[in-house]
Amino acid sequence: MSARILTVDDSASIRLTTNVALSTAGYAVSEAVNGADGLAKAQAERFDLIVTDLNMPIMDGLTMIEELRKIPSQTGIPIIFLTTESDAALKTRAKNAGATGWLTKPFDPENLVKIVRKVLGK
Amino acid sequence: MNSAALKHNEEFWENREEIEVLIFDIAGETFALGAVMVQEILDMVPETPVPGSQPFVGSVINFRGKVIPLADIRLAFGMEPTRITIDSRIIVIAIDIDGEDTLVGIRTDKVNEVTTLAKANSEPPPSVGMRWRPDYIECLVKRGTDFIIVPNLTAIFSTNRERR
Amino acid sequence: MSFPDPITVFRLEAGELLEQIEAGLLDLGRNLDDRDLVDAVFRGLHTLKGSGAMFGFDALAAFTHHCETAFDQVRKGEVPATQELVAAVLEARDQMRLLVETPNGEHGAESERLLAVLHQAVKAAGGGEAAAPVDTPVKAGEQKKPAGRKRYTLLFRLPVNAMANGTNPLGLLDELRELGDCKVIADRASIPPLEKLVPTNLHVGWRVELVTERPRSDIDDVFIFVMDDMELSVSEEDLDTAPVVEVKPQVQPVAPAIAAAPAAAPVSKAEKAPVQDVRANARGQENVRVPAERLDELMDRVGELVIAQSRLYQLATSSVDIGLRAVSEDIERLSGELRDTMMVLRMVPITQLFGRFRRLIHDLARETGKQIELVTEGESTEVDKGVIERLADPLVHLVRNSCDHGLETAEERIAAGKSPVGRITLAARQSGGEVTITIVDDGRGIDRSRVRAKAESSGIITPNTQLSDQELLQLIFQPGFSTAAQVTNLSGRGVGMDVVKKSVEALRGTINVVSNPGAGSEVSLAIPLTLAIIDGLLVRVGSGRYVIPLAAVEECLELSIEEDLRSRGRSFISLRDSLVPFIRLRDLFLTGTKPDPFQKVVVISTGSERVGLVVDQIIGDHQTVIKSMSKLHQDVATFSGATILGDGNVALILDVAHLVAAGQHQEAHMRAAG
Repeated sequence: MSARILTVDDSASIRLTTNVALSTAGYAVSEAVNGADGLAKAQAERFDLIVTDLNMPIMDGLTMIEELRKIPSQTGIPIIFLTTESDAALKTRAKNAGATGWLTKPFDPENLVKIVRKVLGK
Repeated sequence: MNSAALKHNEEFWENREEIEVLIFDIAGETFALGAVMVQEILDMVPETPVPGSQPFVGSVINFRGKVIPLADIRLAFGMEPTRITIDSRIIVIAIDIDGEDTLVGIRTDKVNEVTTLAKANSEPPPSVGMRWRPDYIECLVKRGTDFIIVPNLTAIFSTNRERR
Repeated sequence: MSFPDPITVFRLEAGELLEQIEAGLLDLGRNLDDRDLVDAVFRGLHTLKGSGAMFGFDALAAFTHHCETAFDQVRKGEVPATQELVAAVLEARDQMRLLVETPNGEHGAESERLLAVLHQAVKAAGGGEAAAPVDTPVKAGEQKKPAGRKRYTLLFRLPVNAMANGTNPLGLLDELRELGDCKVIADRASIPPLEKLVPTNLHVGWRVELVTERPRSDIDDVFIFVMDDMELSVSEEDLDTAPVVEVKPQVQPVAPAIAAAPAAAPVSKAEKAPVQDVRANARGQENVRVPAERLDELMDRVGELVIAQSRLYQLATSSVDIGLRAVSEDIERLSGELRDTMMVLRMVPITQLFGRFRRLIHDLARETGKQIELVTEGESTEVDKGVIERLADPLVHLVRNSCDHGLETAEERIAAGKSPVGRITLAARQSGGEVTITIVDDGRGIDRSRVRAKAESSGIITPNTQLSDQELLQLIFQPGFSTAAQVTNLSGRGVGMDVVKKSVEALRGTINVVSNPGAGSEVSLAIPLTLAIIDGLLVRVGSGRYVIPLAAVEECLELSIEEDLRSRGRSFISLRDSLVPFIRLRDLFLTGTKPDPFQKVVVISTGSERVGLVVDQIIGDHQTVIKSMSKLHQDVATFSGATILGDGNVALILDVAHLVAAGQHQEAHMRAAG
């Protein structure tokens, strides 16, 4: 069965790009439009990996990652975050919040797939 | 039998035995239009005459921020003008004109009901013995002792548009 | 959920990439040594290939991949860029466009041919056969030379919370195994006693011996996400020579812009960074792509808001409620700002449009054998997107015309004492609410006698008609005056200058031509910046209200009773020293009402022609949101559109060009009748 991925982003075009890239690569993709939405969806359904934006309305990605990691069932689920520029400080904060890896926007969809493959392993 | 009219008839029914229509009155005659094309029924609104236009689309109205033509199909059927009464309504329909989805208002004296017409009761317009151009009529549907006229709006609009 | 079709998004993106590639190639053609241009073209090809493959455009991806592989030799400096090579890639670019547009078409044979031409060009430039294509090309970069086998010894320990944070240590070991032969030994020394063990914590370290030809950076890439927080030491031993030991207790992260993670095919960072550049350039600062029709919808809503606002304003001004007035003023300000912002959203630089002409000129020069250079000015001038789209065809025609008829051959030019290279200048500049676009050539100029002969033979004028120079030149815009089609198949293409003029007037623009024999011609188009909102003058004729575009209004004056009486039965009034033809709109519109006692004249003009419109009342300025009329009214030439007034009623917008032409015609008719 194909791995399930949740993509969390307030930008429809980024969601679309992510969704298309990952679906094309054979993953089952669901979407959430902000951190709060992502948090709810991640608990409602078990995902194998989460790709999230950091800067979002209502609940940002950092908070969502922190909240997810507090939930025992969400421990160990790989989370990849998208960051706009290679902001080292933000990257550190996201990692401290419990993120697994990152990808800098604008990103090459090919690269996203590679990173997802890398993080998911075999 | 008018073969062109027969074809219109078939197109209208689209292989269905029944069709949902909106029934309305113009100049004492009962008309029907496919309910799917009806967008909205409006009370009379102020209209703006368009000098130099075909008389049967002689004005435009404001429909939700869009400027749409207001058609008076009485003039296509050579009927007498009727006065605006408390029952007068405008039916806004969507119709394909030259491949462009167009909203058009149709002036009516009274809007009656939405009902279902059966194909079994319909017949193509007679090619002779009628006051009106047969190609303007999709079909006639018998109801009780009366006939309901289903106008062929595509034909009405295109013919009038090409006649300069 | 209604997402745009990914294919549509891709097509848009591909269109932009193809434009960039074309622009890059055209520039490269003029400066073959420019490495940056070579890189830019290469990056464009690379990105196109990548996303093409992603969206299922397999033929495109494969074809582009071959071109990229061939062009890579230029990028690596193995082969110099030559004109033939540039031309070959340009042609290939056109094929890519076809492959984007009709991915399922029969393009195989043509693709083969173009690749053969390209390979030939590479060969002629001194290159080898392009490397046999592979599906995922492994790029050079850090792997220029085969590094030779090395034995790496890695000692690493991941952060204790790595697993909780989603890192899979076994996945990392798998990745290392993919790099070469691995011997993995777990270091379990720090595992706490069972009662203290937290299952999600990671207490195991590893010692890995890896024998591989891959560079060190591939190993770093495996650990990219945990590099900062882990312990890692790597020593390497060259298996061909004496062992060299390098020990780094703490490896510095490479901090790549994009974390390129090698799975099956490693892609070096040096390779990736430029790709990101292309995207950054293409998107500018954080751009969002919005389908044009959504902008149009938004524009409609803004238009409705403006109308609703003016209704509110009318209510507020007739009210004594201070609060209502304050809110009304706020809404007025906000909707005004929103409208301005909206207008800006629709504006795009004219570069887009001008960009197309570089290719056209390139092709025209080849077709005609003339030497032509294109100069563009004011490319950053911004124009409404809708206007740009509708300007493209008329401009193409004008430029073709200039190249074809205006410019001479190199020999003729030398004989005339000019540079052999003909020059076409495309310029845009904004002034007020208008943008002026000029197409200037330094060719032979318009031959008046030929124009006259042509106009006479096609019956546009009678022989010996007295015409001013400007009137004579204007004849080329007359229907039926098409020298183009017969002279060559180049500029003809079935349209004449009259069609150009019509298109320009449909944009509420004007067209003018100036020409100096021997020195060249200049055609200028004055186009309003936007088609969506105009400043209008609201007038009343009978009981109907109409909008006259303010840009066309020269002046408004009262028709004195004497003048009114005197002008009955005549078609012109004297305006200061000149006679201006006029149209009584009451007569034209058959209002059937009594005229107001003091009739007003609104003098409108297009270019040098004027006409007076007699109206009953001038109501005042009106911000006019233009609504198009349906096809049922497209035969009514008097009006160019409609708008909705503050009270919700519809007012029609007068078509200035049509009325001026009608007035001039009427005047000519009256003059002829004496």
